[in-house]
Amino acid sequence: MKKIVFNTLLLVLLATAVQAQDKFFTKTGKISFFSSTPMEDIEAHNKTTTSVIDTKTGKLEFAVLMKAFQFEKALMEEHFNENYVESGKYPKASFSGAIANLSDVNFKKDGTYKVTVKGNLTLHGVTKAVEAPGTIIVKNGVVNAASTFNISPEDYKIAIPNLVREKIAKQIKVTVDMNYEPLKG
Amino acid sequence: MKKFILITLAAAVIAAIVGFLLYNKPHRDTASAESDFVVEAPVLLKEFTENEAAANQKYLDKVVAVRGKVKSVTPDDEGNINLTLDADNDMAGVICTFPKADAESAGSINEGEEVTVKGVCTGVLMDVVLIRCVVEK
Repeated sequence: MKKIVFNTLLLVLLATAVQAQDKFFTKTGKISFFSSTPMEDIEAHNKTTTSVIDTKTGKLEFAVLMKAFQFEKALMEEHFNENYVESGKYPKASFSGAIANLSDVNFKKDGTYKVTVKGNLTLHGVTKAVEAPGTIIVKNGVVNAASTFNISPEDYKIAIPNLVREKIAKQIKVTVDMNYEPLKG
Repeated sequence: MKKFILITLAAAVIAAIVGFLLYNKPHRDTASAESDFVVEAPVLLKEFTENEAAANQKYLDKVVAVRGKVKSVTPDDEGNINLTLDADNDMAGVICTFPKADAESAGSINEGEEVTVKGVCTGVLMDVVLIRCVVEK
């Protein structure tokens, strides 16, 4: 009898533990972008990305503040905010999507999994469907997700004056690096 | 004629120097900057959650000194520090990022301590985000 009670308790405990670990989140995820041209390299980093991943459904959400991108040069940051992404008007960028090959990932088992993420990226007030390759690493109950993909400023109606067009790459490389922790319910 | 060339040359040199200085203009130094606002962490979060547009108007790009209780201090692998201030809310707070150069000032702070953090306000996601932070003594 004691054993049955114990087993039931264990089951209940396990069930809640599993349920609580369906969702992983971070508020200090890193997103950086890199523009490389023969004239100039431009790099910016943001370390305060909020993101949630639901391991049950494969759903992914990212949100980032444009003004929190930090550049090496103050002038680049100023131009980025005022002239290009107009962060006063469009303060956030977000991505909402899902892992297309969720069945290939086992969030309960340590390992490295290749994924494809599909969804919508909203930037500068424009929403576009994007698809990006990524890697998910599960280790000791924490989930790391990384991805690198390209976006073009023109796709998001970001106008770049001809004078500086040669200094900004046609394809901007975006790098995403998230260390998720289990969301305790 | 000689004088004309000299003047043109001088003007060109000055323009080049100004251009160079402007291009290399330093970032605003939060440590020495005067705070535009002094506010308690829960009040700041509340202002943002209640009316984001108004709070953006008021705080964006401003140097804000936020007073609050430290919820967590987490260094990243590059030597920067993320400090979260408690704002009477389980889900949200005020996240302050310290660049490597100023990380020292945050490194000695413990969870639960009351501090004032000064940084540039960049808006709200779930939490209010401040960048280029320093701890005010």
